[in-house]
Amino acid sequence: MTEHAAPPQTGTLQLVSRSTYIKESLLRSLFFLCAFVFVLAVALIFVFVGWKAWPIVADYGLWRFISGSVWSSGTEQFGILPLIAGSFLVTLGALALGTPLAVGTAVFLSDVASPRVRSFVRPAVELLAGVPSVVYGFFGIILLRSIVARFTGTLGFGAFTAWIVLAIMIVPTIAALSEDALRSIPEGIREASYAMGATQWQTIYKVVVPAAKIGIIDAIILGMGRAIGETMAVLMVVGNAPVFPKGVFAPLSTMTSQIVMDMPYAVGLHRTALFAMAAMLFIFSMLLVATVRLSSRLRSRS
Amino acid sequence: MLALVSATGCSSAQERADRVIVTGSTTILPIAEQAAETFMSQHPSSSVLVSGLGSSAGIEAVSAGTSQMGTSSRDLKDEETSLGLVDAPIAYDGIAVIVSPKNPVENLTTKQLRAIFAGEITNWKTVGGDDRAIDVVNRDEASGTREAFKKIVMGDVGFAPAAAVLPGTGQVRDVVARATGAIGYISIGFVKPRFTGVSVKALRVDGIVASEKTVADNSYPIGRKLHFFTKGAPTGLTKEFIDFVLSDEIQKGVVVDAGFIPIAEGGTR
Repeated sequence: MTEHAAPPQTGTLQLVSRSTYIKESLLRSLFFLCAFVFVLAVALIFVFVGWKAWPIVADYGLWRFISGSVWSSGTEQFGILPLIAGSFLVTLGALALGTPLAVGTAVFLSDVASPRVRSFVRPAVELLAGVPSVVYGFFGIILLRSIVARFTGTLGFGAFTAWIVLAIMIVPTIAALSEDALRSIPEGIREASYAMGATQWQTIYKVVVPAAKIGIIDAIILGMGRAIGETMAVLMVVGNAPVFPKGVFAPLSTMTSQIVMDMPYAVGLHRTALFAMAAMLFIFSMLLVATVRLSSRLRSRS
Repeated sequence: MLALVSATGCSSAQERADRVIVTGSTTILPIAEQAAETFMSQHPSSSVLVSGLGSSAGIEAVSAGTSQMGTSSRDLKDEETSLGLVDAPIAYDGIAVIVSPKNPVENLTTKQLRAIFAGEITNWKTVGGDDRAIDVVNRDEASGTREAFKKIVMGDVGFAPAAAVLPGTGQVRDVVARATGAIGYISIGFVKPRFTGVSVKALRVDGIVASEKTVADNSYPIGRKLHFFTKGAPTGLTKEFIDFVLSDEIQKGVVVDAGFIPIAEGGTR
């Protein structure tokens, strides 16, 4: 608190003028207000979702909700296990496809590419990150789905199609954050490695990437957050059947896509079930954020 | 002056001469809403309030007098015929079962359809087609078409939960058109390619071709009539609104656009 401007005192030495002091403290309050409003908004959303979702815990049973395997509003059965399974199947598959590609891109940008190449690869990656997800979904349903359908003889809806669409969506996120992590490794470490006679590949593989490991893991977790929360693009390519999928080319549903599908007509317990599912998503993303915080604390300690 | 008349009218009775409350079927909602909007812009002093609560709720509201008009996508049940409701049919709704043009199957019975959509028949071979898995394409539960298909074809049998669920007629049509093993259902009005080049094949159901004509003469099994019900013969603004919905402007515009069949196609039955 020592950097605060000293309050003006009449009669003693004044460090700043009164108007400067007022301006400074107003700005300080303004920034505090910005942060406060945001935190308040998050807290209110969480309280609202929890409040709306409570009847599921009270009337339906939390365990029945989480472990039930039938989601059917007509028969008032709201088991979300197939949807949780769907969300994780889609997310983990997309990570498995997207992570090598993203980390490879990041290494290329930070250690391999010449400045000229980097100057056009990097904006391309950043552009991909900014494309609205409905565009990916549209691309997925029109182009990708029909290609998958042609090669497999199925409808083309399912986890496989979602993997490809989501992988393309999360690569820019993971790549950009991983590149930051790689660039934060001091140049001296690379020079030391070269001085020991290591080749470029050895330097990347044995020195730079291990040194940036925690930053890269953070990037992957944030990419996972994007994948698990993605709704529009997933909704358009998974086929929306709330069952355990019979393979990667069979329709399935995820938590986010099911909320959007059911929202327009859900009433009563069904509506509460959707809110409870939203609360689950909230908890999942809080866990992801907590993991990132924890790992970056580990990084700053090591 | 008008306001004064309506104000006194309002205090004496619930029914106001310049207001019609329309309650009922969600299937008819798009027709009723758009017709009401156009009607009100042509009759600025009147108001037509439309809400969709389901056919049964509409029939109940009009017989209880809380609405001047009840809309329904089903006929009256036996116990409702004594309520003194007057029927004004406004359109036909027929649902075509569609497959890819490459699929050799031409005809299915209602029973076979029910088994396919319940997930009991899973191969086209069983119903006389190629040896190929059946990919069932269903609509989302908010869909009026799904509701009608369920009521007419499925009865008490549930849909297979593993079927793909698509949120729109256009998507169902597009997906089925391109997948040889797929089967889906859409309103008959959308079978012909209007905006896209890809075509789908509408199957015969119980041997009857799906067309505007067979729906209107009631021979096609998956069809129904859409009704406006009033308690007693319609009068005043209620009558004007019904006449407006039956006019060419609405019948050939809104009704056709929503995928339904104009009432005139059925002739005078």
